[in-house]
Amino acid sequence: MNPIARRGLVPLALLLAAAGAITVVVRADAQEPLAPNLLGSGGFNLAGNEMDMSGEWVPRFHEDNDERGNGPELGDYTGLPMNDAGRARADSWDPGWLSMPEWQCRPHPIDYIWRGPSQMRIWKEIDPQTRDLVAYHQYWLRSTDRPTFMDGRPRPPAGAPHTWGGFSKGEWDGDMLRITTTHMKEGYIRRNGVPRSAKATLVQYWIRHGSVMTGVMMIYDPVYLEEVHIRSSDYVLDPSQHIVPYPCEPKEEDVDRRPGQVPHYLPGTNKQLFEWADKFGIPHEAVRGGAASRYPEYRATVDAMLASKARIGIPDNANAPREAARPLAVPDMPADTGIRVVPVRDNIHVVMGAGGNITASIGGDGIMLVDTGRADASAQVLAALRQISPRPLMYILNTHFDPEHTGGNEALSKAGLAIRNTGGNTLLGREENVAMIIGHENVATQMRRAPDPPPFAAWPKDVYFGPEMTLFRWFNNEGVKLVHPNAAHTDADSFVHFRRADVIAAGDLYVNDRYPVIEVAQGGTINGLIDGVNRMLATAASDFMAEGGTMFVPGHGRISDSADVAYYRDMLTIVRDRVDEMRRRGMTVEQVKAARPTKDYDADFGATTGPWTTDMFVEAIYRTLPPPGGTR
Amino acid sequence: MRHILILTLVLTAPVLAQQRGAPQGPPPTPQAAAAVDLSGQWVSIVSEDWRHRLMPPRKGDFESVPLTPEGRKVATAWDPARDRAAGEQCRAYGAAGVMRLPTRIRVGWESPTTMRVELDAGMQTRRFHFGTPPASEPSWQGRSTAAWDYAGRRAPRGGEKPRGGALKVVTTGLRPGYLRKNGVPYSANATVTEYYNVVRGLNDDVFLIVTTIVEDPRYLTQPFITSTNFRRQRDTTGWNPTPCSTT
Repeated sequence: MNPIARRGLVPLALLLAAAGAITVVVRADAQEPLAPNLLGSGGFNLAGNEMDMSGEWVPRFHEDNDERGNGPELGDYTGLPMNDAGRARADSWDPGWLSMPEWQCRPHPIDYIWRGPSQMRIWKEIDPQTRDLVAYHQYWLRSTDRPTFMDGRPRPPAGAPHTWGGFSKGEWDGDMLRITTTHMKEGYIRRNGVPRSAKATLVQYWIRHGSVMTGVMMIYDPVYLEEVHIRSSDYVLDPSQHIVPYPCEPKEEDVDRRPGQVPHYLPGTNKQLFEWADKFGIPHEAVRGGAASRYPEYRATVDAMLASKARIGIPDNANAPREAARPLAVPDMPADTGIRVVPVRDNIHVVMGAGGNITASIGGDGIMLVDTGRADASAQVLAALRQISPRPLMYILNTHFDPEHTGGNEALSKAGLAIRNTGGNTLLGREENVAMIIGHENVATQMRRAPDPPPFAAWPKDVYFGPEMTLFRWFNNEGVKLVHPNAAHTDADSFVHFRRADVIAAGDLYVNDRYPVIEVAQGGTINGLIDGVNRMLATAASDFMAEGGTMFVPGHGRISDSADVAYYRDMLTIVRDRVDEMRRRGMTVEQVKAARPTKDYDADFGATTGPWTTDMFVEAIYRTLPPPGGTR
Repeated sequence: MRHILILTLVLTAPVLAQQRGAPQGPPPTPQAAAAVDLSGQWVSIVSEDWRHRLMPPRKGDFESVPLTPEGRKVATAWDPARDRAAGEQCRAYGAAGVMRLPTRIRVGWESPTTMRVELDAGMQTRRFHFGTPPASEPSWQGRSTAAWDYAGRRAPRGGEKPRGGALKVVTTGLRPGYLRKNGVPYSANATVTEYYNVVRGLNDDVFLIVTTIVEDPRYLTQPFITSTNFRRQRDTTGWNPTPCSTT
């Protein structure tokens, strides 16, 4: 043995002995340690309780085979602790929805894919220097790569993008791997439209017993579930399998669908909901799910239903556990407070916590902001930017005029510097000690008309009045384009496309933590809003399996991609259609509000108090729809 | 190399001495050396196979079960009236199928070497023997041999506390019974291997996961693997002993 290698072994032996986890007896002539607690897979088991989960696994469909293989029937909610919102959402689900280009390549989300009809591969990512386990990776036929980080890295902030696989951290619980997953995109619990929201948290266990693995999933969803949904799926080790690629290219498949149409059933119109129940003689009420329907005593309820052959009503879940209503204790979730800067891609960042989101392009040319947040947060915003770059703030683009988005115009502009174009085709410019403020001309008009107008210094002086505008120069190595949708959130909206980074700052055309405000008095309309969102989606390109690609910074809420925006577009369209149908039936606005056309979305977006309530949203839709008999 | 040997021996000597030379009492009983605490009352959460578990059984519906042709034939010939007449209403309550029934279970210790699992469904009692189970005639619950499957694959030493693990139970000596209430069969030669794991959710939720592997070459084309989920109760509410039933 050479001296270097020998020197290396001494600290290793010290380390092992000090760890106390290994008893190693070495014979002078031996090559192999006679340790009783070496893992069968080779290597030292320092922690003494780690199980190797990697391998090729094939599922066993000895539970729910029909649902998992052939696919579930419409209206089969048995075994699911759904709440009323979940039922309403699932009842409206039309399989034709899957033919939309945005959804054709959507992979199964991580909390469903374990139930899906596909083999699974698990492999380790090992640090080449320390040989520590960095992550377990997984994929199935129709999934994205799902890393489970074992290196203790921090969880992303609440404003970070959500993915189909979510962000997963693993920890050992004995020799079971316990995984907590946050940041999941909206998904589904069953492939028949039973929803799972983006607010859900997944706790998962991988339990390996020899060549059998049981994957346990506990889904906590405060939006669509009454209590935790637990299910477990079993796999068998099969080293001979191979998972083939899944190249999926979305295409328009339904030539009969009119532009902007989102397939869905209006409430009460889905006549197929109980076909499955009738086929198996199950009382209709019993297939509606609910927490109480999963406990042993529910068998007596089923018997009573069958005996009476009468409608007994939806299962009484009054006494069912209500864990979902409790705050979810994800211990390492970063606090969602204060001014914080979250990177998006390349030069693009988002400043959150200052009112509306502020998109910032930060690079060698300086800083460009899309919106400026509240006036009282300007100093903090500037300080946050200065922690990233000392370069001058040169441009402020306004997506519209709301004070939550333009309140910082004056203060931040005065902290900036502009090379001002003097107009026309001249190449002359002059330097000013204020950042240039740019927006649609209606931004300035609406500011001027406001009951309490902001100071002139806060108004955009460089305005455009056509459908779009490209900034006169590349900034931080990319073209920047403003697009004006007509009569959307207001009459003054722009979305801003950073073309190289491929990031769209959406302003309040897209929000994901509330229903969008439709400022009727300032020219906003529901159809204009939907058109604007569709226009953004048409501008965007998704990456593999409907994830990533063009990224969106909403006016409020977390960073998103096209799939998130498409979910939002679907919500707007479905709610619009419901309100429109009620209105065409002659219902008054108060009757429409009382009918709760948004009830399956309220836990995600709604509010009963504050400046923008669910009722106000419904009323704005009602009042800005074309008159009955007109066209959309 | 000699230096390494000496250093290693010096460092490990106290540990080895503790293992080999130190006075030791009798090994802890299985109850005292439990890898995981299974005690208490648990309630099944029927989130899977709902149709087969919470609805009255339907003849010929053996979805998900990998039956041999003979197994299908037997399942199709199921006659609950015949079972009742033969006094065999408990065929669906045997060890290979009973954990899938909607039930509450109570887990405790009958002796330091025998774990006792009571089920209110069918008023059944299972006994898991750490060591060789006593000889007995074939029965619904058969003879169950239990062992702790310790995390790290070794039993704790000295005063160590187990770092977790699972309970492994292998059951043979069964009377022929049903995997489901609608007569999906298993034979007297079936072997049932079960693993009992306890997992933690959020909000102090604790669940028992029972992974069951039924091997029966006569009626099954491959090992029949299911995993059944129970929630730990904080009290004993809902305990409702009911006799075996064919419906």
